[in-house]
Amino acid sequence: MIFHSLEFFVLFAITLAVYWRLPHRAQNVLLLVASYVFYGWVHPWWPVLLFATTFVDYWSARNMSGTGNREPGTGSNRKAWLWVSIITNFGLLGFYKYFDFFIDNVATAGAAIGWNIPHVALRLALPAGISFYTFQSMSYTIDVYRGHAPARTRFIDIAAFVSFFPHLVAGPIMRATNLLPQVERARTFDPAAARDAGVLIVWGLFKKLVIADNVGVIANKVFALQQPDFYVLWAGVFAFAIQIYSDFSAYTDIARGVAKWYGFDLIKNFQRPYLATGPADFWHRWNISLSTWFRDYVYIPLGGSRSGPGRVAANLMITFLASGLWHGASWNYVLWGGYHGLLLVITRSIRLKGFRVAKILTMFMLTCVGWLIFRETDLSQLIADFKLSPMDSTPLGRSTGLYLFLLVVLYSLPLWIHDVWAEFHGPDLVKAIEIREPAPAWNRVFAQAALCGVMFAAILVMRSQTALNFIYFAF
Amino acid sequence: MKSGQVLSLVLVLAGTLVVPLGLRAVNSALPGADVRESYLPSVETPRPREPFDQPAADVIREVQPEFVVIGDSMAGIRIDPLQLTRATRTRVIGLYQQGSPVAYWYLVLKNLIAENDLKSIRGAIFFFRDDQLTTQVQVTPGSLDRVAREREPELDRALAADKLGAFSEVHRAARSVYQFDRTRVWFEPLFNRWPAEVVQPERPSELISAMNNDVFGLDKLRKFEGSDLAASTTESLNFARHVNDSLLPEILRLAERSHIRLAFIRVQRRPTPEGPPPQSDALKKYVEDLKAYVSARGAYFHDDWGDPDEPLSAYADGDHLTAEGRRHYTGRFAEKHARFFQ
Repeated sequence: MIFHSLEFFVLFAITLAVYWRLPHRAQNVLLLVASYVFYGWVHPWWPVLLFATTFVDYWSARNMSGTGNREPGTGSNRKAWLWVSIITNFGLLGFYKYFDFFIDNVATAGAAIGWNIPHVALRLALPAGISFYTFQSMSYTIDVYRGHAPARTRFIDIAAFVSFFPHLVAGPIMRATNLLPQVERARTFDPAAARDAGVLIVWGLFKKLVIADNVGVIANKVFALQQPDFYVLWAGVFAFAIQIYSDFSAYTDIARGVAKWYGFDLIKNFQRPYLATGPADFWHRWNISLSTWFRDYVYIPLGGSRSGPGRVAANLMITFLASGLWHGASWNYVLWGGYHGLLLVITRSIRLKGFRVAKILTMFMLTCVGWLIFRETDLSQLIADFKLSPMDSTPLGRSTGLYLFLLVVLYSLPLWIHDVWAEFHGPDLVKAIEIREPAPAWNRVFAQAALCGVMFAAILVMRSQTALNFIYFAF
Repeated sequence: MKSGQVLSLVLVLAGTLVVPLGLRAVNSALPGADVRESYLPSVETPRPREPFDQPAADVIREVQPEFVVIGDSMAGIRIDPLQLTRATRTRVIGLYQQGSPVAYWYLVLKNLIAENDLKSIRGAIFFFRDDQLTTQVQVTPGSLDRVAREREPELDRALAADKLGAFSEVHRAARSVYQFDRTRVWFEPLFNRWPAEVVQPERPSELISAMNNDVFGLDKLRKFEGSDLAASTTESLNFARHVNDSLLPEILRLAERSHIRLAFIRVQRRPTPEGPPPQSDALKKYVEDLKAYVSARGAYFHDDWGDPDEPLSAYADGDHLTAEGRRHYTGRFAEKHARFFQ
């Protein structure tokens, strides 16, 4: 089920109508049922995988701390149970996401040295969100193993934590230490928070349906060309940069807004990433929940920044290559991860000076180079793209590139205005739900009502005729 | 719960729903926004349309074909109507449209064949890939104009059910309340034209036209080494789930009413060097269900998958055959399906 469907609206409305009339424990059961309905709506077998992940991690964590013991770190065979969890989660992920990639590459490598390795590709459909919920579920067992969180005895709570539908398919990836306590404690309905959450939901829908889907059509057209002109290609890359940001941040905004209506706080996943002044700043602003996951569970266990420069560089590269591979079973994602790792390694040793605007523009251009690597799955085409020169451009190519660029700017203008304004302490739709308001500020309320109305009108009129899936559903 | 906070929530929800009513006022204030409703009112915006291709209908009536082959390039690249005419000693015509969806094929059968006063027509042959007959691919506005009449209620119903699901009535109501389709008609061209006016102020329309034809023309797109239609999803291969919302029942009903025999030929996708292309279990099951469904309603069904006479060497790009492959296919088609032409 997708957010921008009437099916979802019906599910949301029905569960919400019942939810706040129930006691706390029954609310969790309702959330669990709603989450499984949400996830199994199109593919009824997907919840089986979700349940398997949940059950194994629940059982592993229980065994790590000893039966019925909520105190961390006292169980026997803790490491063995951690491995059960890790192997199960990576096993599922590997089987559904990476098996064909692995076989393809083994067969190719074999052929290169004259071995004929049978090709047994499975071509399985990738269950949406599997990378997100396996990582989230696994973080629970790792935290229990480390003693950062106690093992829970209530299976319903763990199942509701893993499957919580607002963020199930595309994050943000929530930690057990953050979301589980929210599942376990009683929640209250806050109309002021619900109002701000409503604004965030409409803003998310606007970003997805008006910005992402429209500029996504432009990007798709450009990336379908055999030999794009230099300017056309980079206009397409710009379109993709806007698409992926507005698409992914839209999902997060809607997820956070919906969760708030049920009394939950999900973490912010984006903080105006295209206003970053350098690679490190970018990764503090882009897909924050995934970046911090890799930082805490990969980079720091590898040694983090505590060793010498060579080891730190290696740790960064390993972390970013793994993060690239997390995005998809294709070499271009690995390259993309490597590219960002390299940017970080280089900028750790060089202190760049200059105006903030120049740094932002430079980082944005570097990010766009990364998006070209990310978007172009055909490596030979990628090489051809990098060989393109503005000197070979035709007048029509230049005009088309400029036309597409301006069209993308036009679609994304509200996004830029919002982000620049929020960066300089103006109204921030994304941050608003984090601020508690003791009494309504009526000017703000009327402005919100007008803004939501205008955005809804824009969705009705400007919604793309071509509905595109959320990009991160594929990861 | 504080009543002021509840009121503020209600105000924002009300604002969201009420402000877009302003679109009605904008529409009525602007001249030219009142465009006629489309023949597919459930899924398309009101817009100017191309006229129905009456000359083509007249020519077909003059020819009085006995059999018609309908489809997209899969049909066009496999069947040479003249060769088939000679081989079967019947009058065969081909009505092909590259990249056309089943909605187009249905309108061809209805408006150019079944309701075109053809006394001699005996059969119609549809060529399709995998789940195309029950999957509504996106209908681009205007792409059906030349084969559509003023009203196409069956097609509208089927597309609405498929595109909008069980909530098509909600969409219809929203359209009627906010009239956003009418706003879109004047707003969208204005919005898309502005960048062209900046880039080429003296001839903005020429830039858009050159872009569509020269930069993004079909010949500029990447060639596919694999099959050129995306693999079907497991969901779309649930035949029972989709058949009643598809156009297939209407095609069968129309043919029965008009005493036209139907043949459905599922073409083979591009083979691998080792042999026929792989098929998922879901796809195999789908094809079995489709065959049982159309056969039970008196239609002829044939699946080309696994035909040893269609090796990879017979293919040009994607799922298309070479010119020699086409000649060979047409000849074998006449032999293999001779009974259908009797």
